[in-house]
Amino acid sequence: MNPPVIDISNLHYTYDGQEAVCGLNLQVAPGRCHALLGRNGAGKTTTMKCLLHLLRPQAGTVRLFGLDPAKDEVAVRSRLSYVPDAPSFYPWMSVRETLEYLASFRARWNLSRQSELLDRFSLDPGMKVTSLSKGQRTQLALIGALAPEPDLLILDEPTSGLDPIVRREFIQTVIGAFQEGDASRRTIFVSTHLIGEFEGLIDEFTLLDQGKAILSLDADKARERYRRIRARFPGSVDAVDVPGGLQTRRHGREVEVIANGDGERIIERLRAQSPESLEVEGLTLEEVFMVTANRLPKEKR
Amino acid sequence: MTFELNYRSGKPVYLQMVDQVKSALASGALKEGDSLPAIRPLAEELRVNRNTVAKAYGELEREGIIETLAGKGCFICRPKSPLRRQVRVEMLTREIDESVVAAHHLQIPRDAFLDLSRDRFDAFEKRRVASDNKAAAS
Repeated sequence: MNPPVIDISNLHYTYDGQEAVCGLNLQVAPGRCHALLGRNGAGKTTTMKCLLHLLRPQAGTVRLFGLDPAKDEVAVRSRLSYVPDAPSFYPWMSVRETLEYLASFRARWNLSRQSELLDRFSLDPGMKVTSLSKGQRTQLALIGALAPEPDLLILDEPTSGLDPIVRREFIQTVIGAFQEGDASRRTIFVSTHLIGEFEGLIDEFTLLDQGKAILSLDADKARERYRRIRARFPGSVDAVDVPGGLQTRRHGREVEVIANGDGERIIERLRAQSPESLEVEGLTLEEVFMVTANRLPKEKR
Repeated sequence: MTFELNYRSGKPVYLQMVDQVKSALASGALKEGDSLPAIRPLAEELRVNRNTVAKAYGELEREGIIETLAGKGCFICRPKSPLRRQVRVEMLTREIDESVVAAHHLQIPRDAFLDLSRDRFDAFEKRRVASDNKAAAS
């Protein structure tokens, strides 16, 4: 078993008495795409900044490739790339100059990857970065992140505020260009609110709330475990007995239950009460996020 | 071969791909010698992790359904199963058991289930014939 690419242990970070991350544990194995999910202020960006050594953990440890980013900053930095939600560049530089500048910090720089992606995004190398749109700035940041062929790609809300076409292209580029070659070594750590768009890419996720991991699961397992069960009855559903479930909603002649691993038992019990119809479907990751972060309405009658 | 992924099916994504290839074979939409899309463009198109596509193709190869020719891609093999008949019967039994359980939950009685099974065999047969005719016509 390879050592984890990311190993966060009991991480704490507090801003002015406000705990942003408290006691976070998280591991990511090589080749996995791990999503960090959570509401605004849950501690995602603080966690990423600790990984990138932009913030120093106040307690706990952070290891990347088994190294301490505070002690081995150069070795760690040479193996990862980072795309923030609002990339910034030197305003006096052109696209070409920006890429040359970024390349000067890297031991490895794949020029054919760079020109392939410039073509793909129709980015003119002579253009000043100040005249780029938000989407083009993100595309430039992505080229700068992929040309060095890093082992780890850290993405912090990379597609927020972009139009759907640019978002789609961004994800396709990560799949196509980043995972090129040995996909088993290419690790992705991404935080996003656009969960549905990244759904196919995400292998596993951690749900953060108030600086703590409240759920950490394999994506396929989550979709298997969380079920929405809808049963319609001939009459009122007030007396229908529903065991367990994360949430139960009753409306008219219908009962809707969100099951977390206890779907079979709930289906069995509902079945025994002779419904007219009963439907079961899995939850998408976004819905798992919603129910777990408690954003769907609670039981109501 | 086009894949359609459903993130609400509760079924692992790579297994959905495996099952769709098997289903395309059963209906004649895929035949011996046909190629499957290359991993990179397919992963990009479906916006799924390349490892997921690789896992699906790996499983199909393990089951003797496709073979990978270096530098050429993945192709549907001659229908042959590396498994003994008894093992194959056991595998199918597990699948049938799942359907029987589903039928129970959906309150479909035994006879209706058996009728439906016959209908489904006919439906696949029909699709296969249609696809053969189309191939012969072109």
